[in-house]
Order: sequence, then structure tokens, then C-alpha cells
Amino acid sequence: MMAQIASVMRLELKKTFFSRRGLWVYVLAFAPALIYLIHAVDVTRDHEHRQALAAAHPVATETLHSIKEGMTTDEVVAAAGEPYAVKTFPGGRRRAGGFRDLAIYQYTDGDSDFALVLVEGKVERINEQDRCNLKKDSAIFATVFQFFYLRLAVFFGCVGIFMNLFRGEMLDKSLHFYLLAPMRREVLLAGKYLAGLVAAATIFVTGTALQLAALSWHFEPGAVSEYLRGPGWGQIAAYLGVTVLACIGYGSIFLLAGLVFRNPIIPAAGVLLWESINLFLPASLKKISIIFYLQALCPVVASPDRGLSLLQRLLISSAEPPQAWVAMLGLMVVTLAVLVFAGRRARRLEINYGTE
Amino acid sequence: MNTTVTFDNVSRFYGEVLGVNRVTLSIPPGITSLVGPNGSGKTTLMNMMAGLVRPTRGEVRVLGISPNEPQRLCHMIGYATQFDSFPRGLTGQEFIYSFLRLFGYSHDRCVKQAETAIARVRMTGAAARKIAGYSKGMRQRIKLALAIAHDPRVLILDEPLNGLDPLVRNETIALFREMAHEGRHVIVSSHVLHEVDQISDQVILLSNGYVVAEGQIHDVRGEIKDHPMQVWIRCAQPSVLASKLFEMDHVVEARLAQDGAGVLVKTRDADRFYRTLNDLAVNGIELEGVTPLDDNVNSVYEYLIGGESR
Repeated sequence: MMAQIASVMRLELKKTFFSRRGLWVYVLAFAPALIYLIHAVDVTRDHEHRQALAAAHPVATETLHSIKEGMTTDEVVAAAGEPYAVKTFPGGRRRAGGFRDLAIYQYTDGDSDFALVLVEGKVERINEQDRCNLKKDSAIFATVFQFFYLRLAVFFGCVGIFMNLFRGEMLDKSLHFYLLAPMRREVLLAGKYLAGLVAAATIFVTGTALQLAALSWHFEPGAVSEYLRGPGWGQIAAYLGVTVLACIGYGSIFLLAGLVFRNPIIPAAGVLLWESINLFLPASLKKISIIFYLQALCPVVASPDRGLSLLQRLLISSAEPPQAWVAMLGLMVVTLAVLVFAGRRARRLEINYGTE
Repeated sequence: MNTTVTFDNVSRFYGEVLGVNRVTLSIPPGITSLVGPNGSGKTTLMNMMAGLVRPTRGEVRVLGISPNEPQRLCHMIGYATQFDSFPRGLTGQEFIYSFLRLFGYSHDRCVKQAETAIARVRMTGAAARKIAGYSKGMRQRIKLALAIAHDPRVLILDEPLNGLDPLVRNETIALFREMAHEGRHVIVSSHVLHEVDQISDQVILLSNGYVVAEGQIHDVRGEIKDHPMQVWIRCAQPSVLASKLFEMDHVVEARLAQDGAGVLVKTRDADRFYRTLNDLAVNGIELEGVTPLDDNVNSVYEYLIGGESR
């Protein structure tokens, strides 16, 4: 039986990794890493630019932090020197009694950028734009990972890979070759599922690893080492593990969908809707989803509240996130149940290409 | 051990559409042809034997094995389907090898059996080429190679001679005969009736999902009483022969040829007719040749199903 599973996997892996139809899965998996890389290049160039400005207009960070709202232009210049850039907007700020002159003085200490908004010669507001740091970026990564990568990229990647395992062969009219081999249909299903899992996990774990590498690329080696010595390795392992678990969970669902549905759009849309409304489901229903368990395993909590309206926030249902081992067990139970059902469907599978 | 392929009151419906209805058959070893027009149920019967389709009612057994047990059945059967499609990107050798591996055989055994099967269908020279570049005839042969590669006892072949050139067609028919002589079942579907005549030990005639007739061609023909058997007899004294034949109650017509070279006879009992003809020959009527004109699949098909298939 193991030899047969291995043979099915050999055939399927070649097809899945090198299929022209599956190129878009690679795009989904690696596009975020490319975006992070572009961001890293941009941040590096921006930092170099700030360093050059700071060299030409040196000012200490403490001095910049000592500037308070209400200080006059002369007091600011006396404390921090001439800014590296001044933007003036005569009559640029509307106030009761007419328009007032507005000016923006820009300073940098080489890392952060300070924009002092002066109205009628007095500091009204100070905007400080920090240089990226690992803590801030890891929070951004957590949000992107949970709300884009897991819910969309891995999700649709699994649609493409796992639905193709049976449905694609039906469309190609080549499934009968498998069904004419002396093996139980459950063995065929296991071989195909494992092949899909290996392919999906390889592609998306690589995607996650590349994202993390691109994310940390522009930081000083010292900062990266410190992060790794702290929560770093644990978080990386957790993200990679969650990616594999996402492939395990979504893979089983879309393998079954490929056996049941002719059109992949219908199950994909249905599952996507179910996973998306997970936030608003009662606690008991939340547990019948993949994303509930995956989010519980993510090392950094990503809050969805910020982008939501008041009404949406009121509708959010809170459920105590399960412990890691419970989440993993829950996911495995859901996956196993789906695979058992898929096995029963596979046993009744018939070749009727004419209706495909 | 059970040596037949049996259908016991088998029906198959595709929704409202009839595939086959109330089919009861027992197919012995040898070459059996399934004959019938498109939609008559040939492929449905074959798919049911291989477990690719399940009966709505009734039971199918292949050498006593249910198609619900693919792990046992597929060792016994080899099926070359009508589908002209293959897994992408494989060469002929890789195709046979890869699917033999699904049988759980070792690498060496798969390599050896793949080579043997490819050689049997005369495809050794093209085995290293991608199947996507094969001609229709080559694709037919590589499918046949896959069907025979694991040495099955029952070979099911859906239109296996389609697309083959005359030379390869003869070689393939010889291969079928060889396998049948080894005691295997070779179950073939075909539209081409003269080929069926040429290769079959028995035929199963299908029409609209029903088995219209089954058995050896001659026996089936003998059962068709509505159409007297036609026999062309060449002889030196056709009028004498005709007068003698008219005395027999089973002869319904004896017509002299215009050139006087013989007699066309129609008889309702072919066996009695041939016995009588032997007696006449012994008693002085000189016969130059006796040719049955409608003791073939083509005529049987025409009489039973109503029209030439191709």
C-alpha cells in the first residue's frame, strides 16, 4: 500500500509542481515576498537619504524630542538649527476669523523624520515618522499573514492545487488510468492528498519564509540577532507551522470539493464566505472552520477591529481562542473527518467524462 | 475457479437516459465482440466490467470478482478505453512504467514489463518520445500496451483497431488471437463488422441498451428464422440442382443465375440443407463451390438491428 501511495505521489507531484495551469499558485505564494522586498529596498534607500540629510543638518534626537507645541519658529531654530526642508503655505490654514500662514519644518536625526507644523509662527503639531522597527513590522506581518496570506493566498492556492487532483483529471479525461490500477480508492485519495499537501506546503512555506526574510532584510544584523534570540525563532517556526496546517486543513476541504463539485468557484466562494464571517459567528460555529484554529496558533495577535465600522464591531462575536494543542487537535479532527467523507465519495466515483 | 465474465440482469441508467437494460450474459474465454451502433451500450458494458461505472441494478462479476474490489479485479483485467487522452508530459515508456508502479511492483519489474508490453505492440522505437507527439495509431497501441503490461486474464478493448494502418491492424488482430489461444478473454467493441467477423469467436449484438443476440455468428444466424439463409452454389447443372432443391420443404427459393453458372438458394434450415447438398453431391450432382452469402455479422446485424453500421 505504501508503495502504491508513493507511486501516486510521484505522478501527482510532477504534475502539480510543473503544471502550466498552476503558475498562478506560485504568483499567489511569492507575490507578498516580492512586496516585502520592494518595501525593504524602499526603507533602505529612505534610511540612507535620512542619514545624508542628518549629516548635512545634524541634530540630536533628544533635541527634537524637546520641541513642544506652542514654541515659536525662532525658538525651534535656536534649539534644533535650520531644518533640512521648509515648506510654506501662505494663508494655508483656515481658522475662525480668516486664513493663517502655514509652514512645515522638517528635521531628521538620521532614523526618524520630524515634521513640525507651524501656524502663524507657532508649533501647532509634531508628526514623528519612526524608522521601521522589527516590533512594528512583525505586527504588520501578523495582520498581512492572517488576513491576506492565510485567508486568500493559501486558501486559493489550495483551491488550485487540491481541486485539480480529481477534477482536473476528469477534465483531462485521464482519471480512469488511476481507477484501473489495483488499489483501493482510499489509497488513491491518500496518495493524491499527500502529493497535494507536499506541493502546497513546499510552495507556501517557502513563500512564508521568503516573506520573513524580506521583512528582516533591511534591519541591522544586530537588531535581527536580538529578535532571533528573543521571540524570533519561535515566531518563525509558528508561522511556518501554521502555513503547513493551513495547507492540511484547506487541502482536505478542496480535495473533497473536487470530488463533489464540477465548478470550483461554488465551493471556493462558499468556504471563503464561511471563513470570512467567522468573526461574526457564535462561538460554537466558529469552531467549524479552519481559520479559527489557525489564528489561535499565530504567534502575534492581529486585531481586525481597526478597519471595521462601529456596527461591525458590535457584531463581532468573541470566543476564547483555544490552546495551541487544542487548536492543532481540532484542525486535525476537522481534516480527518473531511478526508473520511472524501474517501467514501471516492469509493463511489465513476468515470463519466461526457457530463464533465 | 470461475472463468467467465457474467452480467446478471444488469441495468444502468444515466439519470433518465438508458445505458443498458436487463443484460444477462456469460462471456467465456476467447475473442468476444460487442457490436452495436453508437449509444447501444457497448462502452457502458465495458466500463461496468472494469468498475469505472456501477450498475443501477443487477450484478457484474469478472472471473468471480466484483468490480467493487478494484484491488483484486484490476490485477485480472486490462482495459484500453476509447478515451484518447493521457497524463501530460510523459513518454510512452514513462506512461507504462508509471502506471505499472501503481500495481505495487518493483522498479526493475516495472521496467521489464513496460519494455515487454511496448515491444508486443511494436512501439519500442517510439517509447522514448512524448505521447503528445504520437499519431492516433501510436496512441492506440500505447493504450493497448498499458492494458496488457500486467499480463491480465481479461482484456477489454474499446474500438482497439481505430486509427491503425492495415499492417498494424493485422499484427494487432494476431496479438488478440494469441492472447485468446492462451485462454484469456479478449472482449472487443467494434463498429467495423468485417473485422468482427474476422476475429471473433462469439459476438454480442446490442441495440438501444438491449442485448439483441449473443453467441457464435453461425448459431445466431441460424436463429433468425424471418430471413432464410442465402447460399450461392456454383455447379455445372444448375437447373437439375434447382429442381432437386425445390423438393425440399425448407428451401423457399432457388433462383438460376442469368449466366447459368449456378443457383442462389434460400433455406430456412441451413443444417438440413447442407446435409442434403452432400447427398446430392454423392449422387452425381457436380458442385464447384458453395458460398453462404449472409452467414456473417454484417447480415446478422442488418437483420436484427436493421441497417449497416459502417
